[in-house]
Amino acid sequence: MKQHLGRQSGVQTVEVSLRDGKVEVTPKEDGQIDPAQLLKATYDSGVTAAEMDMTARGKIVKDSSGSLALQVEPNRSFALSPNELSKGLEVLADTQTVVTVRGQLYKKPAGKKKADPSVPLNLLILEVQKKE
Amino acid sequence: MNTKKLALLALLVSIVSPVAQAQIKHIEMRVEGMT
Repeated sequence: MKQHLGRQSGVQTVEVSLRDGKVEVTPKEDGQIDPAQLLKATYDSGVTAAEMDMTARGKIVKDSSGSLALQVEPNRSFALSPNELSKGLEVLADTQTVVTVRGQLYKKPAGKKKADPSVPLNLLILEVQKKE
Repeated sequence: MNTKKLALLALLVSIVSPVAQAQIKHIEMRVEGMT
């Protein structure tokens, strides 16, 4: 699995801890990594992803339907799952403020044995680390 | 003319740079079935 993930575009290093069942992925300097592709690669290597957390830096934007999203690249953004922390970031929507957040992108649905890598990835913010 | 170009460049940099600094910094997964 380590080799499989390491081959994905934008991946610099992959650290696997067999004891904890943890996989840490460090993106390359440009940060152009696709979490959905990583999830699929994990699934393809025969392992089930139970959870995926991400730390990312980006701008808060509002899409056409008024929902909030974190824009991490000009053409990539993650819709924010509504919670208290995302509500607190609403005032920063469509401003030049850059935020660093840690959040959950994926959690295997309860009761399902296998993960579904095709589900859309929404970001549930767990921590706002920085506002610049 | 040059002043106008410089002002336009400064404006573009201020608009583009926050997005250029944006990026995914770290990803962590918890997996099951790993041997």
